Amino acid sequence: MIRAVGLTKRYGDRVAVDHAEFTVEAGTVTGFLGPNGAGKSTTMRMILGLDHPTEGAVTVDGKPYRQLPVPLREVGALLDAKAVHGGRSAYNHLACLAKSNGIPLKRVDEVIALVGLEQVAKKRSKNFSLGMGQRLGIAAALLGDPGTLLFDEPVNGLDPEGILWVRNLMKSLAAQGRTVFVSSHLMSEMALTADRVIVIGRGQIKADTTMREFIAQNATTHVRVRSPHIGKLQELMVGGGWRVEALPDDDGALRVFDATSDAIGDLAGRNGLWLHELAVVQPSLEEAFMSMTADSVEYHAGLDGLTDPTGGPGWNRGTGTAGTTGPSSPTGASSPSGSSGASSQTGPTDPSAGEARR
Amino acid sequence: MTTATATAPLGRAGFGNVLSSEWMKLRTVRSTFWTLITLFAGSAAVSFLICLAAADQYAKDKAAGNPDAAGDIVMLGLAFVGQIAAYVLGVMAISAEYTTGGIRTTLTAMPRRVEILVAKAILLAVIVFVVGLATAFACFYLGNIPLEAKHVGVKLSDPGVTRAIFGSALYLAGLSVFGLALGFLLRHTAGAITIGLALIFIIGGLVQLIPGSIGRWLFKVMPGNAGSVITQFGESTRNADKSFAPWTGFAVFLLEVLVLLVIGAIMFERRDA
Repeated sequence: MIRAVGLTKRYGDRVAVDHAEFTVEAGTVTGFLGPNGAGKSTTMRMILGLDHPTEGAVTVDGKPYRQLPVPLREVGALLDAKAVHGGRSAYNHLACLAKSNGIPLKRVDEVIALVGLEQVAKKRSKNFSLGMGQRLGIAAALLGDPGTLLFDEPVNGLDPEGILWVRNLMKSLAAQGRTVFVSSHLMSEMALTADRVIVIGRGQIKADTTMREFIAQNATTHVRVRSPHIGKLQELMVGGGWRVEALPDDDGALRVFDATSDAIGDLAGRNGLWLHELAVVQPSLEEAFMSMTADSVEYHAGLDGLTDPTGGPGWNRGTGTAGTTGPSSPTGASSPSGSSGASSQTGPTDPSAGEARR
Repeated sequence: MTTATATAPLGRAGFGNVLSSEWMKLRTVRSTFWTLITLFAGSAAVSFLICLAAADQYAKDKAAGNPDAAGDIVMLGLAFVGQIAAYVLGVMAISAEYTTGGIRTTLTAMPRRVEILVAKAILLAVIVFVVGLATAFACFYLGNIPLEAKHVGVKLSDPGVTRAIFGSALYLAGLSVFGLALGFLLRHTAGAITIGLALIFIIGGLVQLIPGSIGRWLFKVMPGNAGSVITQFGESTRNADKSFAPWTGFAVFLLEVLVLLVIGAIMFERRDA
C-alpha cells in the first residue's frame, strides 16, 4: 500500500506536486493519469525516495522508502527504461541490482525468462530497442518479487504484442494481491487495465476513484439535437424538466441530458417541429480526462482555430495503443419530425468519440 | 510467476551487499579495464621513454654535480598518465551513473546513499592501490633500464625509493577517491574531469605566481602538489623548501580528499537523484 499525505514538491516558483493525498490499495491496478508535466513522474520519484518532498510525506507499507530494509523485495519500479549503463549486459545489470539486495543470482535467470530476454541476456544493453529496454526495466522491477510495483508509462515504445503482455502482466500481478501503480497519459489504455484511477493535473489530485465510478461520472450520455425550430424545441424540453445545454461553437445544436432520443423525437413530432439531427452521444473517457485536466496541460498544441475532423485537439492522438478508433463525431441523420432519429453510439473507451470540437 | 527463490531470507540489505554490488558494477564495464590498462601500460611506457630521452643529460649533469633532474624521473610516467587515469577512473565510477540515468535504478535498489558512496570509495582505493603499486614497480624497473645504461640508475635501497613506490600507489588511490568525490559533487563526467585535471596540472602550478606567503602556502596545499611529494625521491631541488615533507604532504592531501568526500556525501544525500 502506498500512502501520500500532503505530498508537495516545488522547484523554485513552480509547484510540480501540490499537496497530493492518495492511497494506492493492495490487490488493485491503480492508474495514475495526467497529461505530460502534470507531476506523475515527480510523484513516483518521491515515492521511491529519489526526490525529497518539499512538504508532506509518502510511505510504502507504512515506511518511507529509504527505511525499507530490503527495498527490492518490497517495491519494484520501472521509471525510465533507458536509465541503465549501456555498457553492461542485461544479465550483469540485473545481477548488480540483485547483489545489492542479497537476492540469489538464480532469480536473475528467472526474471530474464519471465520477460523473454534470454536471447540477448549477455548482450550489452546499449543496442537494445526501446521495447527490449522496457522489458529489461520490468525484469528489474520483478527481481525481488515485490508486493508493490510502480510502472511509469510502461507501454511506451512497445509493439501491440508487448502492450498486451504488459497489460496482462499488471492484471496478474494485482490478482496475486500486489499493489500495482501505473502511470499513463492515455485514458484509453488505463480504462483497459486499471481498477482504480487517480487523476493528476498541474500537481493536484483531480480524482481518486474506481474506474467504474469514473466512467459513470464522467462519460455521461446525452442527446445532440439540431432543428430549424430550435428555440421552440428548447422551451418545450426545458419545460419538460430536461437539462439542455447549448453548444456554443456549433450550428445551433443543443445537448440534452436526462432524456432519451425517443422521447425527444416524440416531443418534436407531437408539436410538429422538424429535426435535422438527433443523436445519442457518449463522450469518451479521454474527453472526460481532458476536460478535467484541460487547465493543467503545460503545452497546448496550437490547434485552437482549427477544426480537427476526427475530433479533439491532436495531442492525445497518434498513440492509438488501444486500437479503438471508431466513428468520430455523431453524424445522426437529418430526419423529419416524428421519427426518433438515427443515433450513433460509441463505446466509453473510444478515444475519438464525441463532438467534432470542444 | 515463481516466487521460490526470491522470497527466501529477508533481514536487511547490508553494507556487504552494497559492496559486492558495487564491485560487480566496476568490473562489468569495459571502461574500468581500459582505464586501468592505460594506467599501468601508459605510465610504464612514459617512464621508460622519459628516462631514455633524459639519461644522457642526467648523467652529464650528475657528473658535474649539478643535476637538474633527480632519480625519481623513473616515476614521471605515473605523474602524467597515472594521475590522469586514476583520477578519471574515480570520476567515472559515479558520473557514468548520472550520465546514463542508472543512478536512479541504483538508488531505487539501495536508497541508503552514503553506503553506496563509501563502498565506491573503498573499492576504488583498494583497486587503484594494487594496480598503482604494480605500476610503480614497473616504472621503476623500466625507467632504470636506460638510466643504468648510463650508470646513473637508482636502486630500491636508495633513500626514499621504496617510500616513493608505495607512496605512488597511495597517492594514485587517493587521487581516484578525489575524482569520485568531485564526480559526486558535479555529476558530470566532462565537467569533473576538466576541473580536477585543471586543479592538479594547471592551477596547482599557477598559484605560486601569487606573491608572498599566500602564494607559497597555496602552492604547498594544492592537492596535486601536497599529495605527490610522497612520490619523489633523490637529489631533487625542484620543490626543495616549497613543499611539505612527504608524509606531511600526503596527510594534507588525504585530509582534502576526505573533506571533499564528506561534502560529496552530504550533497548526495540531500539532492534529488
